[in-house]
Amino acid sequence: MSTATISTNLTKRRLREFAGAFMRNRQAVIGLSLLTFILLVAILAPVLAPYDPYALIGNLLEAPSKAHPMGTDNLGRDVLSRVIYGTRVSLLIGTIAAALSGILGTSIGATAGFFGGKTDAILSEVIDIVLMIPTFFLILIVVALMGSNMLNVMVVIGLTSWPGNARLMRSQALSLRTRTFVQAARATGESEWRILFRYIIPNGIFPVVSNTTMQVATAILTEASLSFLGLGDPNLVSWGQMIFNGRTYISSAWWVAAFPGIAIVITVAAFYMIGDGLNKVLNPKLRS
Amino acid sequence: MGRYLGKRSLTGLLTVIVVLVLNFFLIHLAPGDPITILAGMDNPSQELIDITKAKYGLDKPIYVQLWTYIKTLLKGDLGHSIIQARPVSQLIMERLGNTLLLTLTSAVLALVIGTALGIAASRKPGSALDNVLSLIAYVLYSMPGFWLGLMLILLFSSTLRLFPTSGMVDARASYTGIAYVLDVLKHMVLPVGTLTLIGIPGYFRITKASLAQVLKDDYNTLFLAAGMDEKKIFRKYCFRNAILPTITTFGMRLAYVIAGSATVEIVFAWPGMGRLVMSAINTRDYPLLMGVYLVTSVSVAVWMILVDIFYAIADPRIRYS
Repeated sequence: MSTATISTNLTKRRLREFAGAFMRNRQAVIGLSLLTFILLVAILAPVLAPYDPYALIGNLLEAPSKAHPMGTDNLGRDVLSRVIYGTRVSLLIGTIAAALSGILGTSIGATAGFFGGKTDAILSEVIDIVLMIPTFFLILIVVALMGSNMLNVMVVIGLTSWPGNARLMRSQALSLRTRTFVQAARATGESEWRILFRYIIPNGIFPVVSNTTMQVATAILTEASLSFLGLGDPNLVSWGQMIFNGRTYISSAWWVAAFPGIAIVITVAAFYMIGDGLNKVLNPKLRS
Repeated sequence: MGRYLGKRSLTGLLTVIVVLVLNFFLIHLAPGDPITILAGMDNPSQELIDITKAKYGLDKPIYVQLWTYIKTLLKGDLGHSIIQARPVSQLIMERLGNTLLLTLTSAVLALVIGTALGIAASRKPGSALDNVLSLIAYVLYSMPGFWLGLMLILLFSSTLRLFPTSGMVDARASYTGIAYVLDVLKHMVLPVGTLTLIGIPGYFRITKASLAQVLKDDYNTLFLAAGMDEKKIFRKYCFRNAILPTITTFGMRLAYVIAGSATVEIVFAWPGMGRLVMSAINTRDYPLLMGVYLVTSVSVAVWMILVDIFYAIADPRIRYS
């Protein structure tokens, strides 16, 4: 059997074991069902939403009724339709920002842990520095000064949140590089970079995956906070902005701010639960 | 230990320098500047703009400005706010106390309540209490602080009329002495409540997780077999070993006492650092923005290093090389 097959078999076996354990974990199953529901809402938004989310269709600040189950906002737009469409923005910003953080963290951490020596010393220093930067104020400044379009928000969240992933990947790479199958691959003459991408990263990525899942949740909360401060992309329907708009009318028209908040809680909780589930399944110490 | 400390301090120093330079360029290269805002929208006088720009050195190349800023900083001077024409350090000191009043109070409350609930849930894992608390923890953990604040305002101020919705004191009454303190306390209830509720799940989860690990340790079985009282084992051994991550989490939270509550402060119109930052951003008040960010990053760096030191002393298993 070649080293490649051993490594692939190892990965496959772990994946199978992992899928079984994951489905036995209660939080993971609840989170996954919630996420499926949220994804369906996002995909079917045009079908599910009773009105155009941008259209000024009703009276201003109309209380929830049969025609508008979640009422209307200060411009007479249907809150339910806006909550439904807001799912798309939250999911998009959350997943892209987290994916960026995952990719950056994985490559930087794996490189540091696998090559060691000076590379590790320099990269670890960079990781430690970025870890210490107070990120929310930085994100705030960048978005406020450079423009609050969705791309800026996603990129700046991604660029500031990778160090956690890098640390996880680095420690994985540190332990994996001494394993027999890596040494065997080296003996058969595979190049270092190839070993890094074919053996180290695929076998060590699991903790990064669970952390990245959690980061989707954090990114959604960050985007909501920015929007709440009036720094959201004005061309989008976002839950944070809906709360920002509804804030002024909180005592007279609670529904404008209340429903988008509930949507945030459900979405964020889904990602936290999946992340937690992944963590428990992957960390044998926590498995009961 | 000494070498480790030196290394960590160096990283902290580097972070502050990186933050300083990064922010300086970000802030100064972004579109919009404070002088244009100061000059007003209609009929701004070019002559006045030029004079003001020269006064604050904004007409010089950016690297010269950075050098000037660092030179004044080394003298311990954070500069003057362009918009408010007052020393930045003074503006920050005025607000810092208000913010710390909120964040420190809620940090301690969240630590105590969260840990207590975590211990309660760990006593019987899988019990109804554990399940309910875990569910509540998830919900609170996923909740944006500003939204929870709004909901508390809706419930306790608009509907029940128990607490004021915003500010730190009643502006119409000029209280002194005990009446003033009571007024501030009344205004604190909702923002502190919000921050505490948001903070509880972190401690709940960490306590539960570390207790679950410690309870599995072999010495428990040994002590039980030796006939030691279960409660005593818990108090004397498990709790002590499990509390360490909780204290670390507390330390890490303290690092963010300045910046962490910005959105909640804004919901309650609390005169703290959050509102200071927002107004500094909106008016492009360069020196103020730089000053706030510098204070924040120094405090984060210092706290993180302190937490590391504490950890090294408290846990003899950790030896840094």
